[in-house]
Amino acid sequence: MRMNKRVLLLLLPGLLFLAAFMLVPITLTIASTFVQDGKLTLEGYLYFFRDGYFNRILLTTLRVSVVTTLVCMVLGYPAAYYISRASARKKSLLLALSIFPLLTSPVVRSFSWMIILGKKGLINSFLVNTGLIAKPLDILYTPTAMMIGLVHLFLPLIIITLLGVMENLDHELVRAARSLGASPFAAFRKITFPLTVPGLIIGGILVFVGSLTAYTTPALLGGKERVVSTFLYQNAMTLNDWQAASVIAVIMIVITFVVVGLMNAWANRLNPKG
Amino acid sequence: MSLLSLEHVSVAYDNRLILEDFNLSLQKGQLLSLLGPSGCGKTTTLRLIAGFLNAEAGNFMFSGKDYTKVPVEKRNFGFVFQSYALFPHLSVFDNVAFGLRLRKLKEAEVKKRVNRMLETVSLGGFEKRLPGALSGGQRQRVAIARALVIEPDLLLFDEPLSNLDANLRVNMRVEIRRIQQELGITTVYVSHDQEECFSISDQVAVMNNGKIEQLDHPANIFKYPASEFVARFIGFGNFIAFDGRNDEGADIELSRGELKFQAAKRPGGEGNTGLLGAIRPDDLQLLGAGADMGTGTEGNALTGKVQVSTYLGRSYQYQVETELGVFTVNQEMEQPFIQGQQVTVYFPKEKLVLVQ
Repeated sequence: MRMNKRVLLLLLPGLLFLAAFMLVPITLTIASTFVQDGKLTLEGYLYFFRDGYFNRILLTTLRVSVVTTLVCMVLGYPAAYYISRASARKKSLLLALSIFPLLTSPVVRSFSWMIILGKKGLINSFLVNTGLIAKPLDILYTPTAMMIGLVHLFLPLIIITLLGVMENLDHELVRAARSLGASPFAAFRKITFPLTVPGLIIGGILVFVGSLTAYTTPALLGGKERVVSTFLYQNAMTLNDWQAASVIAVIMIVITFVVVGLMNAWANRLNPKG
Repeated sequence: MSLLSLEHVSVAYDNRLILEDFNLSLQKGQLLSLLGPSGCGKTTTLRLIAGFLNAEAGNFMFSGKDYTKVPVEKRNFGFVFQSYALFPHLSVFDNVAFGLRLRKLKEAEVKKRVNRMLETVSLGGFEKRLPGALSGGQRQRVAIARALVIEPDLLLFDEPLSNLDANLRVNMRVEIRRIQQELGITTVYVSHDQEECFSISDQVAVMNNGKIEQLDHPANIFKYPASEFVARFIGFGNFIAFDGRNDEGADIELSRGELKFQAAKRPGGEGNTGLLGAIRPDDLQLLGAGADMGTGTEGNALTGKVQVSTYLGRSYQYQVETELGVFTVNQEMEQPFIQGQQVTVYFPKEKLVLVQ
C-alpha cells in the first residue's frame, strides 16, 4: 500500500506526547542511575544486589508474580475455553460476570480480602469454629494474601485475552483432527492447545507485568511484607531517595523485558507460526 | 448389498428439522454427489455420515454394521473440508502424517506413506512448508492427501473446490475423479455446482428441502429430470402446464386448450410422468414467421414476438412472448432477430420432457 506522506503527520501528536512524557523521562531516569557525584558508575546497582534485604524483596516479588501468573493461567484457561464454547446468550452473561471484578477499585477489593483473610476473618472463624484448626492461620499480610488478591485482580484479564484467541479458533480444525482418528482429548492436546498458546502467553505476560508492578494490592494485603513496587514507593516518598528509587525502577524495567522475552521464546517454540 | 445406507434418518438443528425420514444408499466403489441449493440439507447429510452430527431418529448402516453411535474418530472416514481445515501450526508433512501417527505407526512407515501420498498429489518437495505458505490448489491437495493417507473406508468431500478459481477447479475435479477411481474408494461428494457433480459422479442425488428429488446417473438426470425443481435446477428454463395427455400412440400426445403438442417417449418407457412440459433454452428453435417448418412440425409450435434480444457470445438469447407466456431461447445465428419481430417457437418432441 502506498501512503500519502502527509498522512504520517497524524502520528505526530501522539508521538510528541509519548516523547515528551515517557521517552525523555525514562531515558533521564535510566541515565541518572549510572551517574554518582558526576562520575559514571555501577555503584547504585551493586549496592542493591549486595543488600540482603533488597534481594529478599526481589525474590518475594518474583515468587508472587510467577505464582500469580501460573495460577491465573491454570484457572483462566478452562474458564475461557468453557465460555468460548457456550451459546451466544450464555457467553455474554459469563463474560460480563468475569469482567465484573475489573469494575471495582483494587482498594475496595483489597479491603474485602482483608475481611475474608484476617485473623478474625471469614475463613479463620469458620475453620476455628468448626474445630478443623486450633489457632487461626496467618494468611493476611503474607505473600499468599498478595497472590490471592492479585489472582482476583488479573484473572479477568487473562480470560479476556484467551477468549479472543479461542473464538478465532476454527472448529473445523478440531473436526478434521477427530475425523483423522483423534479422540476429543488428543484433538485438544494436538490442535486446540497449541493454537491457543499465544493467548496464554500474551495473557501471562499481562498478568506477570501487572503483578510485578502492582502497588495497591501488595501494599494493603502484604502488611510489612515488601515487594519491589512498594519498596520503590517507600524510597521515593518516605525516604526521599530518588537515586535509589530510579535504580529500582530500572531493575523492574529490565526484569519485565527479560520475562517478556523468555515467554515469547517459549511461545515460538510451541507454535512456530506465532 | 449397499455399503452405506441411511435409514429413516432425521436431523434437527436449533429445533428445526433439516432432514426428516431421509433415506440414502450407496454401492461400494461408487462416487455419489449430493447436489442442491444452499440449505437443502446436503452438507447436513454429509456431516451426519462423518459423525459430526447426531441423528434424532433413524440409523446409519455402514458395511453391515450399525454406525449410528460410533464416534467420529472410530469411523475411519476421510473428510475433505470446504475450508481445507489444514492445521496451521503443522508442516505439510505433519499435516498428512497426523492420522498415521494417531494410528501408532512406526515413524519410518509414516514417512514412507506420507511421501508416497504427497507424490500422488504432486506435492513432493513441499513437506516442510507450513499451510500458510501454500496456494489454494496446493492446500486443497494437502487436504486430500491427509484424508486419503489413512486409507479410509469412505471418503467425504464438502464443496472442496468452491474456493478455487475456475481453471483450477476443472483440473482438480479431474484429479479427484482419477484418484477416486485409481483407489476404488467409495465417495460422497457435496456441491452446489451441477457441472462439477455431473462430471465426476456415478450417481447424483439432487436434493431440495431435506429430500432427495431424484437419484440417478448424471446423464439421465440431465436429460430426464423427474420434477419441476430438478428441471429448473439443471437449466430447463421453459415450462408449459398441459391439461391433458394420452400415452397410447408412439409419442405422448399433449394438449392445452386447443393447442396440441407431442413429446417423445423415453427409451425404456420409464419417467416422463406428469403434466408439466419442460425444455431447455438451448433446445427451443426460433424460426422467422412464415418460414417453411418442414414435415412433422404440426403442433409443437407457437407464434410469438421477440421481446428482448441479448448477445451471449456463442449464441443470442431471446425472450419471446407467446400466448402461453414468455419463453427463453438460445440460438446461434448470423442474422439475429430483432426486437418486435414475429417468430415461431418450435418445440422438438425429443427435447420436450414431462415432469411432476
